[in-house]
Order: sequence, then C-alpha cells, then structure tokens
Amino acid sequence: MRAFILICLLQTTLSGWTAEHLHQSIDRLIAAKSQGATAPSSDDAEFFRRVRLDLSGTIPTSTEVRTFLKNKSPEKRTKLIDQLLSKDTFAEHWTDRLTVMLLERQTLGKVTEEEWREYLAKALKGNPKWDVMAKEMITATGKGNARSAMKFLGAANHHEMTEGIARLFLGMNLKCAKCHDHPSVDDWQQAHYWGLFTYLNQTKQATNSKDKQSYFVEGLATKKMEFQSVFETEKKNTGPKLPGGKEIEIPIFEKGQEFEKPAADGLPAVPKFRPRELLARDLTSEDNPYFVRNSVNRFWFLMMGRGLVHPLDEVHRENPPSHPALLDLLAKEFVSHAFDIKWLLREIALSEIYQRSSRLPTKTKRVESASYRAAHPKALTPEQLLNAVLKATGNLEKVYAMKADPNAEIFDRKGYFTGTNLDLPPTLDEIRAVFVQTYGNPPGMAEVDFIPGLNKSLFLMNDKMIIHWLKPSDGNLIERLTKLSAAEAIAEELYLSVLARLPEEDEKTSTADYLQQNKNRREGALGDLTWALLNSAEFRLNH
Amino acid sequence: MQTKPHNHACGSTDHGVSRRQMLGTLGGAVGFGSLLQPAFAKEIKKQEKRVCLIWLDGGMSQYESWHPLPHSKFSGPFRSIKTSIPGIHFSELMPHTAKIAHKISVIRTMETMDPNHSTGVPRIQRGDPIDRGVDYPYLGSAIAKLLGPADPGLPPYLWIKPGNGGFIHREAGFLGTQYGALALGNGRPPVHIHRPDSISAELDAARNALRQKANERFKAYRGASEIDAYETSYEMAQQLMARKDIFDDSQISAKDKERYGSHPLGRHILRARQLLEAGVRFVKVNSYHWDTHGDNFNMSQRLVPQVDQPFAALINDLEDRGMLEHTLVIVMSEFGRTPIINSRLGRDHWPDCWSIGLAGCGIKRGAIIGKTTKDGAFVDGEGYDIGHLFHTVFTLLGINSGKTHYRHQGQKLAIANDECEPIKEVML
Repeated sequence: MRAFILICLLQTTLSGWTAEHLHQSIDRLIAAKSQGATAPSSDDAEFFRRVRLDLSGTIPTSTEVRTFLKNKSPEKRTKLIDQLLSKDTFAEHWTDRLTVMLLERQTLGKVTEEEWREYLAKALKGNPKWDVMAKEMITATGKGNARSAMKFLGAANHHEMTEGIARLFLGMNLKCAKCHDHPSVDDWQQAHYWGLFTYLNQTKQATNSKDKQSYFVEGLATKKMEFQSVFETEKKNTGPKLPGGKEIEIPIFEKGQEFEKPAADGLPAVPKFRPRELLARDLTSEDNPYFVRNSVNRFWFLMMGRGLVHPLDEVHRENPPSHPALLDLLAKEFVSHAFDIKWLLREIALSEIYQRSSRLPTKTKRVESASYRAAHPKALTPEQLLNAVLKATGNLEKVYAMKADPNAEIFDRKGYFTGTNLDLPPTLDEIRAVFVQTYGNPPGMAEVDFIPGLNKSLFLMNDKMIIHWLKPSDGNLIERLTKLSAAEAIAEELYLSVLARLPEEDEKTSTADYLQQNKNRREGALGDLTWALLNSAEFRLNH
Repeated sequence: MQTKPHNHACGSTDHGVSRRQMLGTLGGAVGFGSLLQPAFAKEIKKQEKRVCLIWLDGGMSQYESWHPLPHSKFSGPFRSIKTSIPGIHFSELMPHTAKIAHKISVIRTMETMDPNHSTGVPRIQRGDPIDRGVDYPYLGSAIAKLLGPADPGLPPYLWIKPGNGGFIHREAGFLGTQYGALALGNGRPPVHIHRPDSISAELDAARNALRQKANERFKAYRGASEIDAYETSYEMAQQLMARKDIFDDSQISAKDKERYGSHPLGRHILRARQLLEAGVRFVKVNSYHWDTHGDNFNMSQRLVPQVDQPFAALINDLEDRGMLEHTLVIVMSEFGRTPIINSRLGRDHWPDCWSIGLAGCGIKRGAIIGKTTKDGAFVDGEGYDIGHLFHTVFTLLGINSGKTHYRHQGQKLAIANDECEPIKEVML
C-alpha cells in the first residue's frame, strides 16, 4: 500500500499533474514565457501595503506595519490574505470595485445607491459566486431578495443593455457591430449584436399600480429581429442568440396561450417565453467560454492592474492574451471551483508574481507590464486614495464618524471647486464625492489606467481639506509627530504612516535636516514633510 | 522664421505611440518650444497657431446680424448698415463689426441639417463625423490632441463660460479625459490653482523639492513612465500656479474693459484675448440664451451688441499685436433662426441657411461668401455643412484634414467628415 502511494506521488511530481495549486500554476505559466531577469519578491512592507490596498481598500497604520514586520512566521503572508478576505473591509472595498466596474459611476434607475451597495456587500461578506451574481443582475425583475440587482440594467435602453452586457460580461465591445460587422475585428459580427439584442428587446420597466414600485417585465416576443448592414443591401434576421451559441427558436403559441400568468398584482401578464431569463441562464453558463474568460480576465485585472487580455473589452482573436495557457487554466479552474470569487482572488494573491516587487530587476531599464517580470504599479482608485490620505494623516476615524446635520443645506460641490463655496464638505459622502469628481472618470467611462492630470495634482497640492488634515488635532499624524522629539523617531513614524515602510538612512537624514532648517516652525515643517510624501508617486500608486 | 505646418497627427502608428507617451498629462508638456533657445522659442511661441471659438448657444439670428435683408418679406424692424466693404451690409445691431468687415470673412450659406439643440450642439462641435460608433471629441479637444499646447506650460484647451467651471472631460470623447477642457466659470480659474494663504512661495518651493526628491528616489528603482507622467502633471500644475496673472483682471486696463463691454460676454472675450496672448492653444467662450423663440427682436437688440463690440475689439487687438495671422477666430452657434417670424414675434431653429463669422490664420480678409435665395431663406446652390468647416479649420491650422486620422482601439478614424472638404472660398 505504502509503495503504491509512493508511486502515485512520484507520478504526480514527474508528470506535473495537478497536485499543483492554482497559484503555483500561475507562477509556472508566467515563468514559462518570461524572458529576462525578474524582480525579487516584494519585501514585507511592500507586500503588506499592496495586499491591504487590494483586499481592504486602504493602507495600514504605522502600528500595523510594525507588527507585520516583526512577525517572523513563514506563514504570515498566507494568514494575512485569509484574514483580509474574511473581513467586512473586503466586502466594502470590493463593493466599490465591482460598482465602479459594473456601473461605471452612472447612477440610473430606481434602485438607490445604498440598496445596490447593500446587495453587493451582502454577497461579498459570504462566499460570493460570480455566475450567480451575474445571473441576478441580468435577470433581475425587481422581485425578491435580488431586487437591488436591477440597478445594473438601471435605466438603460435596449441598445445600452446589449452593449453593456457584451462589454462587461463577455469582454466584447460590440458598439461598431450595431451597424455592420466590426471593421477590424473579424470575430465581432453584426449578428452577435442583434442576437444579443433580441434577448433584451422585450424588457421594459413597469410601475406596479399597487405598490408604486418599478419592475422589469417582459413583453411578448413573436418574431425574429431584422437587421441590415450599412454596407450591404441584404437584410438578415436573428432570434435570441449568444456569440458562439445556438439561436433560440421563438415559440409560437396559439392565441390566448401566450401567457403563463395573467396580469395581476398591478403588473402586466407574464409571457411563457421570457428571453431575458434565458439569456441570464445561458450567458452565465460554465459552457460559455466568452463569459468565463472575461470573468477571470477582469478579476485578474483588478488584482494585477492589467488584464491577461488588455484592453479588457477587446477579447477576440486579433488581441490574444499575453499568456493563453494561463487564461485557459484560470477559466477552467474558476469553473471547477463554482465561480468562487474569494478562492480566485486568494490564489492570485498567493502567487509569487502577485507578491513580486515593483522594483525592476538589476540592470534592467524597463519591463513590459505584460511580462510580469516586476509588479505593475496601479493607480489608487478615488476611494482608495481618499482612505489612504485619511489613514496616512490619521484622520480616518474622525472623518468616518462625521454626522450629517439634518438641517444643513445641500452642500454646493460645484461652488467648492470654483471657490464660491468656502465651506468644507460636511460629510464623508460629500468628501468622497469630491474625490470621485477629481480622480474618477466621467460617468460611463471605465476606470482602467493611471491617468495623471493637472487638476488631480492641483487638488492634492492645494485642497483645503488636505491642508486641514495636516494640522495637529485629535491624535492625528501631525499631533503624534509633534510629541516626538528625536528626528529619527519622527522619520520612522512619518514614513510608516504615509508610505507604510521604514525610512532609509538618507531619508532619515533629510527629514532631520529639514526639521533643523525649520526649527522655528516645527508644526509647519512636519506638515511640509507629510505633504511631500502624500504628493509623491510612491503614495499615489499601489506599487 | 517660418513655422512649418504641423504634422503631429500623421496617423502612423509609431508616431501615434510616441506622441501618446509624451502626452502623459493634460495635453502633455511637449511642444518643441522647450528644446529651443529662449529667443527663438519666444518667436516660435508667438507664431504657434491658436483658435478662439465664440459660441452663441441657442442660435443667433442671421437676419439680425450677418445677413440683414431689410427689403425681404422675412425682415424684422432693424435697418441694415454699410460695412467697410463696399456693397456689403450687416444689421445695424453690429456697428463695430461693420467697421472691421474688411478684416474678416462671413459665410452666409451654412446648411447643417440638425434643428435640435440637444443633438445640434454636439453635432456641430464635433464636426459631424461619419458615425463610427464612437464619441468624437469637440473641436477644442480635437485641437488639443492634434497640436498639443502652444505654450508647454499652459493647458491647450480652456473654456470660458458663465456659471460653474472645473475640469470638463466629456468634450474629449474617445480621446480620453486628459484632452478635456479646463473650464473657467465666469472667467475664473478653478480654486485649486490658488496656493493656500498659509503657504508662502518659498515654503511651496521647499516642499516641492522634498516631493521631487521622493519621486527621484522612487524612480531610481522602477520603470519610469508612470512616475515621469506624474511628475509632469505636477510641473504643469506649478507652471499654471505661477501664471495666475493670466487670470488676473487687475492686469487689464480700464480702457480695454470699456472697449470690450461690461457684460459677461465682453469680459469673457477680453479674458480670451489675455489667454491667447499668454499662449493658450484653444479658447472657447460661451454665451447662452440666444434661443429667441419669443420676442426675437428685443432679445436680439440686447444680445447682438454683446458679441458685436468685443468681437470687433478682439480682431483689432489681435491684429495690432501681430497675432491675427496666427489666430483663428470663429463666431457661431448650432444653427441660425427661421426666416418666418412666429406668432410670438420669435424666430425658431433654422439649420437650412445661416451665417458664421471667421477671421485670422489664413482666412481671407473681406470675403463675404455664399449665395442664398432672394429672401435669405435657403441656400442657392451648394451650402456648407459643419464637416466643411472642420476641414477648413484643420487646414488653416496646418493639419492635413483629409489624411490625418485618430487611432482608437485599433480603428482608424478620420478627424473630419470624409465626405466634406475645406471651404476654399474663405481661405487665402
């Protein structure tokens, strides 16, 4: 018996069969295509900051960094990842990430932002399954627990629904294919657009005459959709059809037999044939490679800062993945783990390439981000940036505890940017809105790349809130620093708090020098030192 | 010294990439000025082509401005007056512009299809490119992309408008947010260009030195492109902060203020002059409430002089400063107004035949072009659509409008409507 086991073990090792964990396969498949030297593993501080930003949306405190650095357990990174995935902060942060990805900062439809966030956060606190969530979003009618998932379709018309679902769930930017086959992408045909459209064109919003709530209902689909390319004279038609899938026959019922339920409860009759439900079922199926590959590609992007297929909505043969075998494997494993989001994120976070330093390998000037030879620096999202600024300056708790004055007038945000409103934003929500307006993209535009901008720099340099947070109060960073006398201790607390790492010797020296030069204005000098780090690229990036 | 036509946007992929890399931030900090000797650089900067678009939102009546026909059945109560071009008349509401008519061109046969504000404004400001399923940039963003900043220290596209300002991305369309407009609400810059009172210039320099040092340190071990782009955005921010004078009213003489008029449009066109002089590539000035469905004549009597006076002053000033030959000035709306006067003494939307004013940068002097039917209601012959105007603007700025393309997600996109061409009649 023992011999038999031994043989089996040998065999697995020799054949490279899947006793391997996914994170090990990730490293193996990336290494297989890696040409040239690779960066070393991130040091503990670099890893700690990165994983905190990625899995809980903010940077750690100085105390937390100290504790993590002191911890000598070889298991500490793995333990930390597991811990972070189980915390409420994971649910909050990934609610932000998924909201920005799926709604692209549009606030449309009858479901409020709060209801939508609650819906996502509830799923993310448990054991979220991506296919289930996607299904709920596509199929939401407004009834039951998943009512809030209606926000995904929001107030979109049928074309916007078609384009949104194709782009976000299939990685296909089919806008061109509305009028003709895509001019440069052979894989994207006009029939794809209209096949998807035909699943959705019976969906409409109805207000229940009894509870006055809004619902999505489906009308009666009776015939195929006719379409014509602007370049051709021939007309074509299609029933509901997914790219790569089979066209669904639209059933013909005898008159009077079309409906499953008559009009009731203030809503119209429910047809027997409901193509949107079929779309949700078939699109999110594990047999739909477009959905599965797009899903893993997007989660990979959210962790790594670029997709294996990049741009994210250009998944087609002419834009092949940087690592095809890896994309295939991720897709296969995601399916065999029942679309378990946390499992996938955990495996990515455990990989050596996720934990690799962003410092370039020695004697290397630059590396292609698609090679993963060094970690690709990601821009902090507007939400991460706000949290990081608050955490770094030691004002997070105070700001999070701000209570809205119910009698206060609506804050004039436009006036805040033009200088006609001299008040500071009175609530966390308003502060966040100011950050999103400055650092986010306009509604409808995906947030993918790091785009520095004049207005963004000016904000971090000169905004009144930032100046305010750099004044000593209530145990914030500047107050803590004023209580320290040794320059070395100040430098340490400053660098740990803002950059989540210990200062190097030369940084200690320059901190001491600056304090010495400005010894008559110590508080101000501490503010300058903090300001300089807040405005540094090292702070602005998740590196 | 001669400026060569710009050929930045030649559409070749290589060129596109290197250009995009350089344009890491709001229009980028490129431009060859920074590479030249200061004296040459100054001369080059002066000769960099610039644009001022005066946008009369809602639609100015051609009958009460560029194309009065007092004897036609559609005329209103206003007389026409002689201009500095023999035989050419403008409405009596444009006395100042009438005196400089020989310095400008007028196209009286714009024929632009779309009679709705909501679709007409974007259609016109995007130049009505053929629909390829993407959001085209507005003219200012297009120029910001194609030519970059005229002065490397200043943003390429500023927009002066009544009301609120800020950074307006949406005009950039598919070009990406960095080509949006920096909007000056009521002519004022965004509040964040002001350094807090508590920070002196010396302190600011000191803390920026700390910041730069931190970046250099960080960059030493890492790929440079993101860090460089970030640093550049700070350099631009500091340059703009140092150039706050270009937004400063106290720099403007009382006499100039009087010449341009005390109403918002006058003040804003004067601010535009200040910005063009400083080296801003593209300035848009917006005026609203030109949609005179009711009481067209009283409203025109109030509104038209508000553009007449500062427009004429701007043309004269640009000429005096030797800038007119490098600065294109355009006065336009999304359409004109109906010949027929409605029951509320108003005129409605009329894209079928209307007028725009143009001057400078290769525009003919004193060319009043376009044949209309006798009463001015329709174009007699071929009219010009907005696509023709975009080709004209690009050509005047030295961009080959027929051969230059944007590249977007692998798609080659013409910068102007492929079915149109430049309006030769108004070009020198």
